[in-house]
Amino acid sequence: MIDDVIDFFEPYTYLIIGSVKAFVIAGALLGIVPALVWLERRLMGRFQVRLGPNRVGPFGLGQPISDSIKLLFKESIIQSSADKFLFHLAPAIVVFTAIVTFAVIPFGEPVKIFGQEIGLWVANVNIGLLFVFAISGMGVYGMVLAGLSSNNKYSLMGGLRSSAQMISYELTLGLAALSIVVLTGSLSLIDMVTSQDSYPNILIQPLAFLLFFIAGIAETNRAPFDLPEAEQELVAGFHTEYTGMKFAMFFMGEYINMVTMSALVTLLFLGGWNAYGVPVWPIVAFSGKVLFLLCVFIWLRSTYPRIRYDRLMTFGWKVLVPISLLNLLVTSVLVVL
Amino acid sequence: MFELDLFELTKATVTTLVGLTAVLASLGVILCSSPIYCALYLIGHMICLALLFLLYNAEFVAAVQIIVYAGAVMILFLFIIALLGGKKEIQEPSTERSIAIAFVATMLGELFLSATVGPTRPIEGAFDAQTVAEVGGSAKAIGLELFSRHVVAFELASVLLLVAAVGIICLSKFSYVPLRRRMK
Repeated sequence: MIDDVIDFFEPYTYLIIGSVKAFVIAGALLGIVPALVWLERRLMGRFQVRLGPNRVGPFGLGQPISDSIKLLFKESIIQSSADKFLFHLAPAIVVFTAIVTFAVIPFGEPVKIFGQEIGLWVANVNIGLLFVFAISGMGVYGMVLAGLSSNNKYSLMGGLRSSAQMISYELTLGLAALSIVVLTGSLSLIDMVTSQDSYPNILIQPLAFLLFFIAGIAETNRAPFDLPEAEQELVAGFHTEYTGMKFAMFFMGEYINMVTMSALVTLLFLGGWNAYGVPVWPIVAFSGKVLFLLCVFIWLRSTYPRIRYDRLMTFGWKVLVPISLLNLLVTSVLVVL
Repeated sequence: MFELDLFELTKATVTTLVGLTAVLASLGVILCSSPIYCALYLIGHMICLALLFLLYNAEFVAAVQIIVYAGAVMILFLFIIALLGGKKEIQEPSTERSIAIAFVATMLGELFLSATVGPTRPIEGAFDAQTVAEVGGSAKAIGLELFSRHVVAFELASVLLLVAAVGIICLSKFSYVPLRRRMK
């Protein structure tokens, strides 16, 4: 009986492994969010010469747990003039796209468990990079719909700003990544990491790294590019009207996007899981690089003030896009020669 | 005892479901009265098309479909709707409406005719799943085809798009004086 069942499922082992991996990754990403919130608050506290959360548990470690419980039990308020369906849909889109994007991010070499070769990624797509851009581009709909459905002028402004900002900076992001694609000759993220086994790409493409990182900060709506949710001028932008868990879902999306962007920078420019002589496991090397980049994100937030909106657009279209085009041109010419 | 191929069965079911959703979404685009929901149905339709491409192993076309149409074009649609304020339109019977209904009915009739006259055939071309896999992925196959045999058409199309972009800037140009100078 049992043997029959095993025989029946034998050809579908990869489906089962895939589902398990998907669950583990999605769960880990959702679990990372409170930890990141804690890290950000602690680090911000240090940067601003204060203590940060330190009351709940040792080093304030219980703070994110109590915060999440508070958010879960808060009353959910929807104003009567809002479009109910879109109002509920918007945060779901943000979290969904953020989690799905991570599906193609590889974070280590394949390992053998019980005789099965298991790659440390959910899906090995041969257009991995394009998939990331496609799905993360869909994430902006969450913000635009939140702005549209709230029936609030500040939310609408926030939604419009986020869509304009995303469109402008996605160009730079794509062009900077394209120079790496030209170098590697593949769109697969795993190929990109294996091609960097002797030296990371940042050494030969420092300009592309800078462009990608700046555009990445703008794409994740982090300070100093957090114009869509500028507190002083737009109250809180597109999530002004949201309360409780739906409000928290926007933050979940933002933090998961931050992790994805750091992982992407690590894969494209910092050599992925290659440790370059340091005796650590590949997955530790990868996580270490991602953690460092996350700290840089937080560091930037506490260092720079928010830039003005027209400057943001000018900077994107008149500085970043021409430089990235030029960089791509030079790279392609050098590769062909 | 018939062989139950779980994979093929799942694929056929998913393809049918996605295709049905695509048709329903495109109906939603023309039948819905609120512009925001129309745009959303169109996005849904485009995502369904991308899924269909994906089901037929054309990953590159699927990704491009999502990035260009669902990502870039539709966000501009939503942008315009948000700027103009999406008001629900009140539908009233008119001559144009009856003409439109007649047109749609004709199209549906033709579709029905073409479906009954002959079974549909796949388009024959240089590439099938095997050759694409040999070249090394759909992105590479499209690149090779586009930049070798169709390079002139491709470049001409890019020039055409450039002309369109320059033209739209010329047409919509307005004399812009910065606020500070206007105040004097």
